[in-house]
Amino acid sequence: MRRIWAGAALAAALLCAVFVGLSRRGGVTIRIGVYSGSYWQTPNGDCYQILDNAIRRFESTHERVKVEYVSGITTDSYSEWLSEQILSGTEPDLYFVLPEDFNLLVTCGALAKLDAFMDADAAFDASLYYEPSLRSGTFEGGQYALPHESVPTIMFVNKTLLERNGIPMPRNDWTWNDFYDICRRVTNVEARQFGAYDYTWLHALYSNGTSLFSEDGTACYLSDEKIRSAIQFVKSLRDLNGGYQVTARDFDLGNVAFRPFLFSEYRAYQPYPWRVKKYSGFQWDGISMPAGPHGDNVSELHTMLLGISARTRHEALAWKLCKLLSLDEEVQRELYADSSGISPLRAVQADAPDSDRLGLEAIDKIMSTAVSAPRFDGYEQALMMAENAVADEMALDITRGDGLTAAQREINVFLGKS
Amino acid sequence: MRRREEIPYLTALMFVMNLSVVLFYAVVVFATTARICRSFTAYDFLSTVRQVPDKPWVMPTRSLISYGFLTLVSFAKYRGRLGGKYLSGFICVSEIALCFATVASLNFYYTGVALLVLSDLTHYIQNPRVRLGLMIPLSLLFALGRYEIASVFVARIPFGAYLNYYSPSVRGYLAGIESVLVSWNVLLFVYDMILLFTSQREENARISRLNLQLKEANQRLRKNAVELEHLTETRERNRLAREIHDTLGHTLTGIVMGTEAVSAIFDAAPEEAKRRIEIVHKTAQEGLEDVRRSIKALRPDALEKRSLEKALEELITNFHLTTSVDIDYQQDAGGLDFAGDEENTLYRIIQEGMTNSVRHGHATEIEIQITREGNLLTVRIRDNGLGCAELEEGFGLRHMEERLGLLGGSLAYGNRNDDSDDEQRGFYLIASLPVRGREGK
Repeated sequence: MRRIWAGAALAAALLCAVFVGLSRRGGVTIRIGVYSGSYWQTPNGDCYQILDNAIRRFESTHERVKVEYVSGITTDSYSEWLSEQILSGTEPDLYFVLPEDFNLLVTCGALAKLDAFMDADAAFDASLYYEPSLRSGTFEGGQYALPHESVPTIMFVNKTLLERNGIPMPRNDWTWNDFYDICRRVTNVEARQFGAYDYTWLHALYSNGTSLFSEDGTACYLSDEKIRSAIQFVKSLRDLNGGYQVTARDFDLGNVAFRPFLFSEYRAYQPYPWRVKKYSGFQWDGISMPAGPHGDNVSELHTMLLGISARTRHEALAWKLCKLLSLDEEVQRELYADSSGISPLRAVQADAPDSDRLGLEAIDKIMSTAVSAPRFDGYEQALMMAENAVADEMALDITRGDGLTAAQREINVFLGKS
Repeated sequence: MRRREEIPYLTALMFVMNLSVVLFYAVVVFATTARICRSFTAYDFLSTVRQVPDKPWVMPTRSLISYGFLTLVSFAKYRGRLGGKYLSGFICVSEIALCFATVASLNFYYTGVALLVLSDLTHYIQNPRVRLGLMIPLSLLFALGRYEIASVFVARIPFGAYLNYYSPSVRGYLAGIESVLVSWNVLLFVYDMILLFTSQREENARISRLNLQLKEANQRLRKNAVELEHLTETRERNRLAREIHDTLGHTLTGIVMGTEAVSAIFDAAPEEAKRRIEIVHKTAQEGLEDVRRSIKALRPDALEKRSLEKALEELITNFHLTTSVDIDYQQDAGGLDFAGDEENTLYRIIQEGMTNSVRHGHATEIEIQITREGNLLTVRIRDNGLGCAELEEGFGLRHMEERLGLLGGSLAYGNRNDDSDDEQRGFYLIASLPVRGREGK
């Protein structure tokens, strides 16, 4: 009997050894999750070109390491595809994280915490990044993803409309007062001509030097004076329109002076061949968001991130590949040339081709001061509660209602629970 | 007793029931995950549960492996009749550990395995204190290992989240199957416990029944002892009667007849009468002697005052002094310390044997030898007397035989020259007595 057991143990050990040997000989395969096309809804070239080049470089420096990805997953279906992979336990070792998925993936525990890698890796220098870009990958104090590409919100200006009304193009350091003034001068309700479309209290809030939630997501500042004044400002802009609901069509037709837009759109359609495809009826340009009385020309930042699966068995390699895609200047330069975002690396942006008339200085300022949507559990729910409260507030047309205070209390209770 | 034999079958049934519960959860979770991925609702599912589930094959493999090992350990213990302090301790600990592993691998959806192990180990372990020790961790696991409590400490996806994928009707069916399986297992556990307690009560009843029988037997024994005492008394009385009849009766008859004859011839032949009177006198004296001897023989106080050894020495010395017979007394049996009835019997046999030798055999030399081999005590008495051609009743031999017989001993006697290697005249007597020792005195 004992002999049989010993034999069985020996056979098992042998099998294990063979298995381990075979898997070693085959080398390591790193899988990377990637979407096709542009997340920013702008046309770009061969979407896999940059990735393929980076992989080739990575494989050449890492013997016996093979990097694989599944191609053909569109940005629309990428979140679902990634979720399926996670449920099936076959998620890639490293994957792109869409800005809106970051909170979910972190709270799920799907992303590995990167702080230990960052601290241990001497080659990693956090100061190479624009701080807001890097901060987009943090959640409740921990770093869970590295930035791949950032896109801030900027203000589109209908230059033709301003010229027609004898108004000069505002400067990049313009304020709410300038903004309101131009809107007031442009607005002509009978002629269906308006100042701004889609400028919300959240845009105003960021540029008024405040945020809706505390960094750790434990408190909401909805009834704060700065937020009240942001809401008040948006309301006063709306009041200029005399009750008319401005639509995207009004803007497309060239009848609206300002509209917040993603920087990617600006970069994609500003150069010549694409320029004629959109907004061909009027001259347009982009500038910073207007600064509020307590703030600066701050815009919201959207950042495409790269995260490492919490369940990967090749963390070290995944980290190296992640670092290559995020922190390597060559990769980032290629990306900048091909895509329409802004590199999260200061150095890449510093010597970017000067096709952007927004100006390097302005971009640098935007990128240094931009803020991202907060990262904490329950953010979406809390934001929805705040938006509803503000919508009620604006609809009720009460100047200093107590609705915000009540809503803030309610949201704080919710945040305390979650 | 029939019920006790049912228990292993019931345990086996519980194992099968629990296997189906484990399979149910594993299959539902595995299949639902696959369906969620196929129907493009993975993102919604993740947003709802806010947790990365284990890889889909983890639950089926882990739960089935740990449950399989649990079954293996449990059945090995029945088949191999494994016991011993350390081995059974190891079995208990490993069954509890495997039970916990099974519950944990099922995301704490189901804690009924703890009941299975509890009933299994309760049958296996008889020591009530150890049983209590087993009951505590398993009851805690059953009560506190529930998903609602465990999920506070370990993030797990609730089973309801998987059920929510389905339409209400399918959800209803699945929830129905779940509750039927779970409650069946509880019912089996309850039934098993009832059987256990009934069988234990039967066992207790059997023991008290046996106790009662023992008590009755004891009472009967006591009654018998009283009867035996009675019987002994009667026999002693009979012996007394015989003794009186044989000795005193005979003597008195002789005296009466002698004196009658003397009175008839007193005037006619005074010389003859005188001679007859002398004979009567002699007879009366003999009778008196007989009576004295009888009284002495009947008196038990010789033994009550001192040990058998001393009593025998005194008896022999006195006998020698009164009859001037030479007695060769050899005591080779070591210490003579026996139960009261045995000592009495020995004393009486030696007393009677010597009396017989002198009275009937007119011996002048008597040899008495006491030997012992193991528990068998042997008394040999030989004399150089006349022996006897025909053994007569009333010699006391029968009494000796009866006394010995009561104690499981035996008596042999006869003429010495009947035996080929003994040409001496005389009588011999060998009493064998298995002695018990001194517990009944």
